[in-house]
Formats: sequence, structure tokens, C-alpha cells
Amino acid sequence: MTNVARSAQVLLIAASSMLFAAFTSAMVVRRGIGGDWAAPPLPAWVLPTILFAPLASWLLHQRRVKPAMAAGAALVAAQIALLAHFRMAVIGEAFCAVLIAVHALHAAAGVLALGRFGASAAIFWHFVGLLWIYVLFLFGVWA
Amino acid sequence: MTVFSTCHKVIGKQYIALSLFSVFIGIFLSLVMRYHLVHPDTKVKLFQLLWPDGAPGGQMTPELYLSLMTMHGTIMVFFVLTTTPQSGFGNYFLPLQIGAPDMAFPVLNMLSFWTTALSLLTLLAAFFVEGGAPLSGWTAYPPLSGLGKITGPGQGLGQDLWILSIALFCVASLMAAINFIVTIIELRAPGMGYFDMPLTCWGWFVTALISLFAFAVLLPGGVLLLLDRLAGTSFFIPGGLIVNDQVQTRSGGSPLLFQHLFWFFGHPEVYIAILPGMGLISTVLSVFSGKRVFGYKAMAIAMLAIGGLGFVVWGHHMFISGMSPYSSIAFSVLTLAVGVPSAVKTFNWLATLWGGRLRFTAAMHYALGFVSLFITGGITGLVLGQPGLDVYFHDTYFVVAHFHLIMGVAAVFAIFAGLHYWFPIMYGRFLNEQLGKLHFFLTFAGVYALFVPLHFAGFVGNPRRYPDFKEYEFLKSVMPLHIGVTHAAYFLAAVQLLFLFNYLWSKRRGALAPANPWGAATREWRND
Repeated sequence: MTNVARSAQVLLIAASSMLFAAFTSAMVVRRGIGGDWAAPPLPAWVLPTILFAPLASWLLHQRRVKPAMAAGAALVAAQIALLAHFRMAVIGEAFCAVLIAVHALHAAAGVLALGRFGASAAIFWHFVGLLWIYVLFLFGVWA
Repeated sequence: MTVFSTCHKVIGKQYIALSLFSVFIGIFLSLVMRYHLVHPDTKVKLFQLLWPDGAPGGQMTPELYLSLMTMHGTIMVFFVLTTTPQSGFGNYFLPLQIGAPDMAFPVLNMLSFWTTALSLLTLLAAFFVEGGAPLSGWTAYPPLSGLGKITGPGQGLGQDLWILSIALFCVASLMAAINFIVTIIELRAPGMGYFDMPLTCWGWFVTALISLFAFAVLLPGGVLLLLDRLAGTSFFIPGGLIVNDQVQTRSGGSPLLFQHLFWFFGHPEVYIAILPGMGLISTVLSVFSGKRVFGYKAMAIAMLAIGGLGFVVWGHHMFISGMSPYSSIAFSVLTLAVGVPSAVKTFNWLATLWGGRLRFTAAMHYALGFVSLFITGGITGLVLGQPGLDVYFHDTYFVVAHFHLIMGVAAVFAIFAGLHYWFPIMYGRFLNEQLGKLHFFLTFAGVYALFVPLHFAGFVGNPRRYPDFKEYEFLKSVMPLHIGVTHAAYFLAAVQLLFLFNYLWSKRRGALAPANPWGAATREWRND
């Protein structure tokens, strides 16, 4: 991997972290002031999806890019299916839907990057995996 | 020159052309607003022609006035002040100055430009949809911006397009920021350390870092606002709202939450506009003083300090929002702290001039004008940074005068300096020096004639964003001042045609320039 590719991914991760930090801080504030917060109901089948991202990372470590892309695509598909569970008029569910949708965009970009750049895009993909664990923790435990 | 070129020089010129187009639209909108302020009852056929719904019979409605103000601010901030100094000059000259063959990601660079162009088209499309352009200002505060067309003309599809345009601009800016930073970190010429870079490169570097973190926060604000409008969410819409006699069903949201997200971006945006200019001015002052920049390292560190402090002062835009006085004090102290690196830069510019063999070229004139405007606009920033004074001045013409001087005109003077300075590289010819100097003196006089009196309007509490002052007894005494300001605005706009003529004429017929006409030491003069 070239230094240019590595630097670009680190910066992309920095920008994405800022993006999720902004969404999270908005959620923390909105939850605290609205008086109408209810924890978003996550279906039980969402739990196994937490494995998709580490699986893709492990496959990348094995230099098996196409299976890693398949694991990534499965995660994106699961996230799209998950979006149908939320009502936008309920604030907790709306935040959950937004963060999952934004993560799905990152995951889709990660899959495309794997297809285009192969294992060189691994750093970004590892970040996407960590981010998914963070999102599930946020709504499954904290919220 | 191909339209979808990936060459950094072509893309730089494309950004500059886009800004030049945008700035004349912005100027035109400001002239229409100024005309209306002093002739609120006059019917103008042109207004009816341009905005049949907003000016029925030629009589401008208050809503049209607000939509013109919104579009003026948005166009000027995003497509002129953010675009030219960073993306225009930066794309063209950054690779040349650090000895790189091109930007790190040429295709991404091309995509950044065309996403910016699409963003501008999306914004301008708001003029042509039902209801016209939005009226919520460049800050787009909810609930006005979050409820849809029930809140007025322009708040329907026009506001949707505005938010979409800003979201596209955020994406374009993030792509550009990554490209700039990677180029500087990875593609510097062998042996060139960070503190060997010209200060222009430091300006672009710090600006790109700010853009990376600031636009990444504005984007979520825009997404959540769009969902409030289109998906029935209530991120920013509070309960108990009655709009046009209709009770709004949504509740629990906080308009202040949007303000925090917006200004976390909005204040750094001021530095996104001015920091590339600071770098450029340092170079111009140095070249035309025949001396090295005084305190080079301090100048670079001051830029980093300004960029860093820019992220912790956003609360000073919200002093009157009801925040805790302790928070106000914290934001006030941090805001005033920005004065320290700013003063370091100002004194170092003066020290660079001191004892130098000054050459008063047109570029040098603009550079000196920049320093003057930076001091004038900066001092009023210290006034507004204090909560006790800001409570009085907030939303008055004092604020309008302050930010136009420091963020608007100072940055524009840096753009003029840059165009005069680098024109020989860009086109192989000089911009006409005599016309340039004439344009400088007329613009400099016009700028102060326009914006200094507006401070006094602020002193008497003249609120901004009001389309008609004659209804208010306490504002009648200010009308002569506004008439003078409006004439200054006409004068200033007319003078810009002089620059446009000089630019277009010199591109084809200007005097041919030798390889390094100013005797500069930076790499771009060697490469070309």
C-alpha cells in the first residue's frame, strides 16, 4: 500500500469520525431535552450482523478480497432491511435509522473501494467494521 | 483545455471562473437589496420581470427581500470566499509550490470541482421553482427552515434545493480537503520539510484541515434538517408551534441544536475564507518588500493556532440564545484569544515591510489593503466577542459591517492580490498595472464608504434583515446614512467592472510577462 493511499484513508476516517461524532452529539442533546425519547426496538436478527464486518476484515487479512466484499455486501443488505423497522416520527427510531443509513453508505463505499483497490482499502474497511459495532452499541445498549 | 480535465491548473482556473460568475450574481443581488432599502415603495419593472411572484407589479415583497439576502449570503460565502482562495489558487499553485507533478488524486479533484458546480446549479435552481428561493438566511435556522412551505414562499422546494446544494458542497469540500492534505503530506519535493513550504501552502494546508472537520459537521446538520422537512422527523422542531394559524403536530426538537451544529462549522468557515488569503498576503508582502517574511515559523504556527481556536469559539454566535453566562465567558475568552495569533500575523506583516525596498505594484496595494481591512474588521470582532456588547449589537448592522470587512472584503482583496501576482503564470501576461492600481484605490475607498457607516447604524440598534425601515420611528434618522451607503454600493459595484475588463482584456492583450517578473523565490516561478 502506498503512503498516499494510507494517508487518504486515515483522513477519510477522520472526516467520517467527525460525521458520526456530530450525529451522536445531536442524539445525546436531543435525547436529553425532548422528553419524548424511547429506545429504538432492534430486531434480534441484527445481532449476528455484528460479525459481518470482522469477518470481512479477517478475509481481507487472508487476502481473499471477493469473499470480503461479499461479507460487506451482506452487511449493507442487512442494514437496508433493518431500515424498514423504524418509524421516522419517533425520534429515537429516526436517529437509529439515520445512523444505520449513513453507516450503510460507508459500508457500500467500503465494498466499492475493495472492488476498486483491493486489500489497499483495508484500513477503511476495518474502520467501517468498528463503526458498526459502535452504532449497535449506541442503540442496543446506551440508547 | 478539456471540460472534464484532471489537470490541476485547468481545475484551478475552472474554480476561479465559477467564482467570478458567482460573485457578479452576488453583487447584483446585493444592489437590488440596497436599492429596495432606500426605495421601499418604488415599483421596478425589472424586479417584476425577474421575480413575477416576489415583486407583483414591480413592488418587492418582504419575502423576496429575504430570499435575495439568503442567496446573496450563500453564494458569496460558499461559491466565492470558500472557493477561489482555496480551491482556485490552491489547485493551481500548490503542486507547483511544493514540486509535485499534480494533486494526489487528479480524478477526485475533477469530481470535487464538478460537484461544486452541480451544487451551484442546484442553488440557483431555487430561483426558478415554485415559491422561489428560500428566505431563512445563509444560516437556515429552524423552525423557519424546517417546516416546509407553510412558513412562506421559498420555504418549499426552494429550501429543499438550498439544503441539497449545501450538502453537495460539503461533499465536494471534503473530497478537496483530503486531496489537499494528502498532496502536502506525501508529495512535497524531496528534502522539503513542512517549515520549508511557502506560507501560501501553510494557508491551504490549515484551511484543508479545517474544512475536513468543519464540513463533516455541517453535513449531518443539513441531513437532519432535510429529514425534518421531508420525513416528518422532529430533530429541530419544538412543540407548540402555530404557523399561519395552523398548530404544528411535531414536538421535542430544538432549534438551538441546529445552531450548535451550524456554528461549529460556521465559525471555522470564516477562517476557511481568510487563511489562504493570509498565506498569500505574506508571500506578496515579502516579494514586494525584497525581504524574507518576518517570523516565518511564528506565522505558520499562528495559522495553526487560528485554525485550532476556530473550533472552540462557535458559541459567540449564540450569546443571546439563553446559554449559561459561564459558557458565555468561556466562549468570550476563547474568542478574544484568537486576537493573539492574529496580532502575531499583523505585526509580522508590518515587520516584513519595515526596512524593505518596497515596490508598490497593484498586487502590493491589495496586500496592504488586506492588512488594513483585517485590522479594521478584526477590531470590531473583539467588540462582538464580548457577551455584554454582543447582546446589544447582535443582529444589527454592526455585525453586517464587521463580517463583511473581515470575512468578505479582506478575503476578496487577497483574491485580487493573488490574481495580479500570479496572472503572469496563469496566462503568460500581466494584468494591466495602472488599471489595477486605479481599481484598488476606488475599491478601497468604496469599501470603507460602504461598511464604516453601517457600524453607526448598528450603534443606534438598526436591525439587519428588515426589508423596510420607514415603519420604525427610531430608524428614520438612519435613512440618510443608508442612502449614502447605497450610493457607495452602486459605486463599488461599478468599479468592479473595471477589474472584469482588465481581467478579460489582459488575458488576450496584456503585456507579455517574462519568466519571473517579480523576482520571487518560490518554486512556481521556476516550474512554469
